Amino acid sequence: MSAARWVRRLLLLLAIAAGVHLLMVWALPRVIMHKVLNTTPQELGAQPGSTAQVYFPPMTDATQRRIVMPSPDLLYATCVFDVSARPLRIRADPRLPGYWSVALYGANSDNFFVVNDRQLAGKPLDLVLVGARGAPEGTPLPAAARVVSVPSNRGLVLMRVLVADYAADRAVVEPARRTLSCEALR
Amino acid sequence: MTPTRWRRWSNAVGIVLAGVALGLGSAWLALKSPLSAPSQMAGAWRTSVLAGSADADLYTRARIAIGALLALSREETLYYIADHDDAGAPLRSACSYHVEGVPPPARWWSITAYADDFFLFPNAARRYSLNGGTARLDGAGRFALRTGPTADAADPTHWLPTPGERGLLLTLRLYNPDPALAAAPGGLVAPRIRRVGDCAR
Repeated sequence: MSAARWVRRLLLLLAIAAGVHLLMVWALPRVIMHKVLNTTPQELGAQPGSTAQVYFPPMTDATQRRIVMPSPDLLYATCVFDVSARPLRIRADPRLPGYWSVALYGANSDNFFVVNDRQLAGKPLDLVLVGARGAPEGTPLPAAARVVSVPSNRGLVLMRVLVADYAADRAVVEPARRTLSCEALR
Repeated sequence: MTPTRWRRWSNAVGIVLAGVALGLGSAWLALKSPLSAPSQMAGAWRTSVLAGSADADLYTRARIAIGALLALSREETLYYIADHDDAGAPLRSACSYHVEGVPPPARWWSITAYADDFFLFPNAARRYSLNGGTARLDGAGRFALRTGPTADAADPTHWLPTPGERGLLLTLRLYNPDPALAAAPGGLVAPRIRRVGDCAR
């Protein structure tokens, strides 16, 4: 067999290896996020008050083994967004003295938007998520809401509420996180 | 199929399979250490400056997805992770460590102990972290905590149980960090991590 044929084979092997390598590295965060976005409320351990749209997982402890490095000092509320057909309105008004934030994650796991209580300066959160092509024609967008264009049609909304002592603060923080709502605009 | 044609087909399949195996293996090697994302060091602690960011490159995004999924961008939260003590020895759950430092410049902070699978250590007392709300500062304004497999009745330092024999990770979170620190995370006055006593067997 000629040397030229061996070189061609070697180049083909390296090209396939490089393609598979890059595909794996590119796909991994998307596969992990896809799994998260398709986790059911039951698997999340949804608490009373959870709806089809918003999940309220219990306070994090060692039994939580779905998302890596969970914070035991935060209480979460979460919903999955899908703006492929309709914009999504996200509202929250926890009125807490301590830290809380709402972060948005794209299908590739990027944190493309976050807002916290200080930035809102006591005002309620009111966001409308629209796809890259904007809202469908004829969809009225609430005038008071801040419009956020999302990089992917699907993603995750994650509310974090700081809890120094859950037993002591439960009566305050539980109703506070339940102010998160995620509603598709009609 | 003629022998010559069969040989060509088998050669082609062999090249494709070898290429796929090489690609998968090299990707695994590139991502097997999620903590190796581009980072800055502060003492024994490292922080990825691109965690959660849309500016993250292909490899950083994949490593963060494995080891710190749903991280916030550094303007909102800084994450420092230590898997070695100040002497450079890998942290082990079977050993006890004394961690002390000054409260970092942030609105709120916490230090959490994780096993090397990035999940919390099970313990009946549900003690997983020390934070800005629970830390008690000494006369010099310093906090301290101790990690280890067993409690030490003679040591009143805040104890985080780390049962078993496996790798240990300490994560320092800074929510709403000082803007100067967010711009240069390597400038953190890092908590010190010192092993104390012998390790459990």
